[in-house]
Amino acid sequence: MSDKVSPIEALPPASRAYGEIGAVSADPRWVMVVDQERCIGCWSCCVICKSENDVPDGMWWNRINTVGDGLDTPYEEQGRLAMHWLPLACQHCENPACTRVCPVSATYSREDGLVMQDSQRCIGCRYCLVACPYGVRQFNWGRPERPVPFDTGMVAPRPLGTMEKCTMCVHRITDGQVPSCVWSCPGQARIFGDLNDPDSKVSRLIRDRGGYQLLEERGTDPHVYYLPPRRKRGLEP
Amino acid sequence: MSTISATAAVPRRTTGRTIWIGLLLLGFAAGVGAWIYQLTQGLAVTNMRNPTMWGLYITLFMFFVGLSAGGLIVASAGRLFGGERLKPIVRVAVLEATVAVMLAALFLLPDMGRPDRLWHLFRYPHFRSPMMWDITVVIAYFIISLIYVWVYTRHDNAERRSWLAFGTTNTPASARRDDRMKWVLAAVGLPVAILLHSITAWIFGLQISRAFWFTALMAPMFVTSALVSGTALVILIVTVVRRVGRISFPDDLRALLAKLLAVFVAVEAFMVFSEMLTAAYNGASFEADPIARMLSGRFSPLFWFEIAVGLLVPFVLLVVPKWRFKPAAVVVASVLAVLGIFVHRFNIVLNGLTFATVPYAPGVAIGTPQPVGTDSFALSLAYYPSWVEWVVALGLVCLGGLIFTAGVMWLPLREKAH
Repeated sequence: MSDKVSPIEALPPASRAYGEIGAVSADPRWVMVVDQERCIGCWSCCVICKSENDVPDGMWWNRINTVGDGLDTPYEEQGRLAMHWLPLACQHCENPACTRVCPVSATYSREDGLVMQDSQRCIGCRYCLVACPYGVRQFNWGRPERPVPFDTGMVAPRPLGTMEKCTMCVHRITDGQVPSCVWSCPGQARIFGDLNDPDSKVSRLIRDRGGYQLLEERGTDPHVYYLPPRRKRGLEP
Repeated sequence: MSTISATAAVPRRTTGRTIWIGLLLLGFAAGVGAWIYQLTQGLAVTNMRNPTMWGLYITLFMFFVGLSAGGLIVASAGRLFGGERLKPIVRVAVLEATVAVMLAALFLLPDMGRPDRLWHLFRYPHFRSPMMWDITVVIAYFIISLIYVWVYTRHDNAERRSWLAFGTTNTPASARRDDRMKWVLAAVGLPVAILLHSITAWIFGLQISRAFWFTALMAPMFVTSALVSGTALVILIVTVVRRVGRISFPDDLRALLAKLLAVFVAVEAFMVFSEMLTAAYNGASFEADPIARMLSGRFSPLFWFEIAVGLLVPFVLLVVPKWRFKPAAVVVASVLAVLGIFVHRFNIVLNGLTFATVPYAPGVAIGTPQPVGTDSFALSLAYYPSWVEWVVALGLVCLGGLIFTAGVMWLPLREKAH
């Protein structure tokens, strides 16, 4: 890693303390919890992801889907309007479809459950992109273009013709910091932690709020859990 | 080369051959140029993007895998199930299969983002990937096909004292040994060929992310469509090769192949119908959406072309005995059947891929910078191959044509009278 620091690393100690992962179990299993009740669809997490990871134009490791039919448009539920978002990045599956199909094992699961991509081994066949049920992988179709060179130096640039995707900011986890998107969320809709610790915040939230996994029926067992929005009981007729 | 036959002595024919080879060379050169351009610019010069990550190259990969089935039917099935009548065309069919499977493998190259890392496939193979199974079986099938061509021609090559005999001799003992060898090859070649088509199908059919592909019918359907396109291409090729005087066979042999093709077309139609009915019957099922796109939506022109022009018309032309014995009708039916299977395979790729698996706006990031004012995301991207893809494809097809032409010119393809 170079001597360059992340924009967040350069912040005052108090801000850094805000991003501490804190105590974890001996054998952490990283999960991210996304609270749909709290998400306001502002795309802050997507934008900071681009600068943190130096993601070129046209590519997004992280995006905000609007539940329903149109972008930032309410949908009708039981005669009333509702509006929710589904922030979507790599789901870091326990049983990933992408790692299974890679002919050269360029994408693989780490011991702690994170799914990684080795840009130096990738041959660019895009089979993982076909296999992923979430559409979160990004291919370097052309030479990277950037509006400004973010160049934080935290993450090595990916070569032409290879695949890249969300790494759960693995370079920050090594430093004991939560991923950038978690740190930057103004609604605190993203929570990062250790699933192997039954008393961790993520474990409690998943238990208490009925955390669900996206496309659970496909059996990929993601390490990203969504907390469903609460029903606005008070507004019911 | 010392083996050039003396049959093509008519000047007009030589001119035709020169023009033919010149055109193929031109097409191949254009393809190489387009590929070099693609290598310098990246796959951004194709029309593939994140929402439609595979396109014409992969379609042609499986199309040529399918076309290689012709050699199997004529050589293996013919020998194992007593098709003595097919003997005059076995060598041409096997040569065609060899070139087709080689082209299929070559079509993976321009599809790769990093062809310079091709060696990673052998350095870091991951055998849980259907792609790796397929590369293995494609290589195996190519080697078997090469051995096939060699074993079928070495007798005559030895007689002509060609180096292509690789030291074998032409004696009664070697003829008996070759005959045993052909049996072994047929017995090995048939299951490997069926595996080849099935594994190619499983590249697609094992993907739980793609509802349209995730069906157990995929492998049987691939075998069937391979038989259709393979047989049709063999009919076309033997017709042409007989025309240029390199082989001879009686007319009723073409009628026999035509009858075979009619059966394969019928089985293919049955497979397509069974798949569509299963998916469409329950209306709002998990698979309903891609099926709706096929039956009445965006891909319906392709689908109904496949049904009407690729299956119905050829079947009618081939099933009526009066027409089956007319060369023109059989040739037209074969061309349409090959075209129909190409469209069928294009539809499999497109309909399986071009819709976001999480169906919420804004969809999937396209992956390249988009003009100001247009969307960086797409729920579904209309795909049509770019000129680079067409020219690269043309170049590879021309390369196949060149190799096949060389084989026709220099290999002893004519079976001796028996």
